[in-house]
Amino acid sequence: MSETHVLAEGATLNSFGHDPWWIIGLKALVVFVFLLLTVLITVWAERRIIGRMQLRPGPNRAGPFGILQALFDGIKGALKEDIVPRGVDKVVFFLAPILAAAPAMVSFSVIPWGGVVSIGGHKTPLQLADLPVAVLLPLAMASIGVYGFVLAGWSSMSPYALLGGLRSSAQVISYEIAMGLSFVAVFLFSGTLSTSEIVAAQAHGTAFKVAGMTLHTPSWYAVLLLPSFIIYIFTMMGESGRIPFDLPEGEGELVAGYHTEYSSLKFMMFYLAEYVNMTTLSALCTTLFLGGYRAPWPITWFWSGANSGWWPVLWFLIKIWMFTFFFIWLRAALPRVRYDQLMKLGWKVLIPVSLGWILFVSVVRALRNEHHDVGPIMIVAAIIVVLLLIASFLWERVSASEAQPEEAEAAAEQDPMAGGFPVPPLDAPHYHGVGNGRAPNSAEATRA
Amino acid sequence: MTPVYMAAGDIPTPHIEYGRLAPVLIVLGAACVGVLVEALAPRAQRYGLQVLVSVVGLVAAFAWTIALGIGDQPHHVAAMGAVGVDGPTLFIQGTILVLALMSMLLIAERRHEDSPFTAQASTVPGSPEERESLVAGLVQTEIYPLVLFAVGGMLIFPAANDLLTMFVALEVMSLPLYLLCGLARRRRLLSQEAAVKYFLLGAFSSAFFLYGTAMLYGFAGSVRLSEIAAAISKQGGDEPLLLAGVALLSVGLLFKMGAAPFQAWKPDVYQGAPTALTALMASCTLVAAVGGVLRVFYVGLETLRWDWRPMMWAVAILTMLVGAIVAITQTDVKRMLAYSSIAHGGFLLTGVIATNKAGLSSTLFYLAAYGFTTVGAFAVITMVRDAGGEAGHLSRWAGLGKRQPLVAGTFAFFLLAFAGIPLTSGFTGKFAVFQAAMAGGAMPLVIVGVVSSAIAAFFYVRVIVLMFFSEPLADGPTVSFSPATATAVAVGAFVTLVLGVIPAPALHLAQSAANQLFVR
Amino acid sequence: MNLYVPIVVLGALALLFAVGSVIMGSFTGPKRWNRARLEAYECGIEPTPQPVGGGRFPVKYYLTAMLFIVFDIEIIFLYPWAVAFDHMGLFGLVEMVLFIVTVLIAYAYVWRRGGLEWD
Repeated sequence: MSETHVLAEGATLNSFGHDPWWIIGLKALVVFVFLLLTVLITVWAERRIIGRMQLRPGPNRAGPFGILQALFDGIKGALKEDIVPRGVDKVVFFLAPILAAAPAMVSFSVIPWGGVVSIGGHKTPLQLADLPVAVLLPLAMASIGVYGFVLAGWSSMSPYALLGGLRSSAQVISYEIAMGLSFVAVFLFSGTLSTSEIVAAQAHGTAFKVAGMTLHTPSWYAVLLLPSFIIYIFTMMGESGRIPFDLPEGEGELVAGYHTEYSSLKFMMFYLAEYVNMTTLSALCTTLFLGGYRAPWPITWFWSGANSGWWPVLWFLIKIWMFTFFFIWLRAALPRVRYDQLMKLGWKVLIPVSLGWILFVSVVRALRNEHHDVGPIMIVAAIIVVLLLIASFLWERVSASEAQPEEAEAAAEQDPMAGGFPVPPLDAPHYHGVGNGRAPNSAEATRA
Repeated sequence: MTPVYMAAGDIPTPHIEYGRLAPVLIVLGAACVGVLVEALAPRAQRYGLQVLVSVVGLVAAFAWTIALGIGDQPHHVAAMGAVGVDGPTLFIQGTILVLALMSMLLIAERRHEDSPFTAQASTVPGSPEERESLVAGLVQTEIYPLVLFAVGGMLIFPAANDLLTMFVALEVMSLPLYLLCGLARRRRLLSQEAAVKYFLLGAFSSAFFLYGTAMLYGFAGSVRLSEIAAAISKQGGDEPLLLAGVALLSVGLLFKMGAAPFQAWKPDVYQGAPTALTALMASCTLVAAVGGVLRVFYVGLETLRWDWRPMMWAVAILTMLVGAIVAITQTDVKRMLAYSSIAHGGFLLTGVIATNKAGLSSTLFYLAAYGFTTVGAFAVITMVRDAGGEAGHLSRWAGLGKRQPLVAGTFAFFLLAFAGIPLTSGFTGKFAVFQAAMAGGAMPLVIVGVVSSAIAAFFYVRVIVLMFFSEPLADGPTVSFSPATATAVAVGAFVTLVLGVIPAPALHLAQSAANQLFVR
Repeated sequence: MNLYVPIVVLGALALLFAVGSVIMGSFTGPKRWNRARLEAYECGIEPTPQPVGGGRFPVKYYLTAMLFIVFDIEIIFLYPWAVAFDHMGLFGLVEMVLFIVTVLIAYAYVWRRGGLEWD
């Protein structure tokens, strides 16, 4: 596969800004419909997959394999009463679902689907838009989307909704920092913020010679910048507000969080926003870390046309569905974390690790640019990382053993009428399954 | 529209002259070390470490400033033209550093009580938590890094050669001060009120400064002072954008130095803030603010002086008169000194208006002289104490001269220096400034200055009379003696005397500093 | 054609859809007045009276917001730096390391003072 051939079909920033009106309209419409359809299919797929994982069939009545379930749920939602509780701030209450849903969709416009193709005689890239600062758009839209959640919680004038909104905002902004930091290494290597060019930058690794053979370094940033990728996966979970980080709407404590008071199509908008966000985060991850629409390595090895024409769309869809499945899988597999654990992970683990990683990557890259040997740096960094891990592990152990006696004391001293309000005991035998024979049976009953 | 690309290939690598910026960097670095001390050192050791870090940082920065001053003739721009390193700047920076060191003696004072600052800033005044923290003897040691950050900002402010750097310096200097104002140990509500007032008005004036900067940028296409000056001489000075920009910028600058009609914050803030911090603000902040005013008007707007002079005339006259007249009615010592500081701001402005070498050198001299006197005066105020803290009300000072002649005498000496009586530095300073103003053709200004000096002398003398010629109160305040504060008082008195009796060396220093004017 | 036009087109489409749905929702559903249904949902108990304007939030959230601003500004500086990194040589590296270290000092302070604790 020749170098020039690939460049000819891959889009760059130059390829944008030349589309006629009807192509722009068509592309925007396709993206819009794609997102709506994806949401419907994802909702269905999620319920089916989780059903399978929990040894039950999941929805299987509406249409073949129950595939129309989500559509009918949507129609049902539209036919439900639209309750506007007394005391809500009317304007903001109506505005919040719009603010949550609309920006979520806009993010998708900078995601590349494929290289340049010909539509109706026009050469055009399979991507709605690209900017010199394209990656900032999803970040900005995510920030605006948070307004939807916060304002929903605030305008509802309900304690659950307010708490949900506050938690959501604190959580999203905390994880946005780590997410923003995880991108830095990618930009360092790609030298651009344009999504199409980041994909192009992942086309080939740099060549190096080992024992007379010319080899290429891995071209996907997920491999090259593995820590960044892992951090992004964490923050992706945090940003989407799904299990294990679904505290803003943790039904065990907050009923439904910020959308407790919403019903009918307004509630549907929040639902839609969540799933669109999930798709966008997956697509962004694909673009930045998994080589975007480009075919994975073994395929290009024996099929040189894999990256030309409309084929990239297939690779792109496969990749984002991998992530969507990952999201669903996590939901089936993991319990919800506590809020303090969530914030601790965000602020005390992801941020310092990201910053350390950025420092390391930039030092290595600068030295390589200056043609220095980076081997010793790697070794030193490895030693530092190991030492830090050991130190933090010991620190955790020490502080945990310090904290324990205090907790025991607090439990012993607990006042059943603290501050004039009855408080349930922090520790009771039946919390541990002792002295309550009924608990396992009733759990059985609900499962059946 | 064709897509815009980042011209990544031609980013010129800026060069930064770390050596010339070292005084600022040392102070800010010491502040960062102070933050780390707060983060990592155990509570018991923080006080000692913080004082050590602050003093070492300030002394090292001062030493470096001296080295820069006596080294090659300093006349450079550093950091790609953002900062000017020249004679006047180094003189101002050196003055700020010495005055900050003197104020540090008061800030670190723990003989009178655990600290002049509140035990724990987060406690509500009058709450049980506050009492607990007082009893536990807690000390809020974040004070020291905050002071260092403020001093760092003050060092950049007069050196800033473009308006954006100046704005950043303005914020770096102001934000810690807003916070520190609210941390008095006694009368915390008054202190917090002062902090909020200072913050709100300060934020307001920052906005003025920024608007002015934006307009000047719109006029000249650059925020560099030298390029604004060039644009003025090229395009003439009657553009509305330019005049509005100059007006707004002046509001921001004059607010910081507390010139009338933007003086309203000064009495409240000086009274409410912890006295040790008032000393810092009355000396270092004023020096920095006047330094910034000097640079803007001497470098950026010099060619426009026929347009801004009438405005500055009015401001200077108003400032001198308001400061002197309103001070007469004051009954609180710190408030009275605040108005005195306003009046001195007016005297300083007469030097600024001269826009010549004599004006510059006399303003520099005046700044140094006034700074030492004012730190000394506030140091005396921290020593005269009642059961409830400092004896702020003037009536409590009655007869102090009969019981504590030395302390009262020193304070009287400082007051005479403020009044500008011969053989004090105040006289030399005023004389130099007025002389420069006369040479610059501002005779009416000088007349107003002399008149308001006479008015001011009235209330200074009134305090002296109160201290020496009325009967001591039965339960009058006591004088709490401590080596650090006494050192500050002694240095202040000594410098005030020396600059009054043999001013020639200091005047010569200021002249040689001013000789090259500001670098462009 | 401006690079931003397609984004605006998609944004308009999404906005139209969201606004339309929200408005449609209030027409398609049934309307049956019920006093209890109009109360805020609190698991069936009498709803807590809510202060006007939502009342005061715990100071924790403000702290988080402030820290977010600090780090967000750091990120804003990091992006252009990262994009232009190869053109700036060691100077860019040294300056950014200084900047990151400065932010880390503040970070260490906040951490040690319990600014990152949630309980």
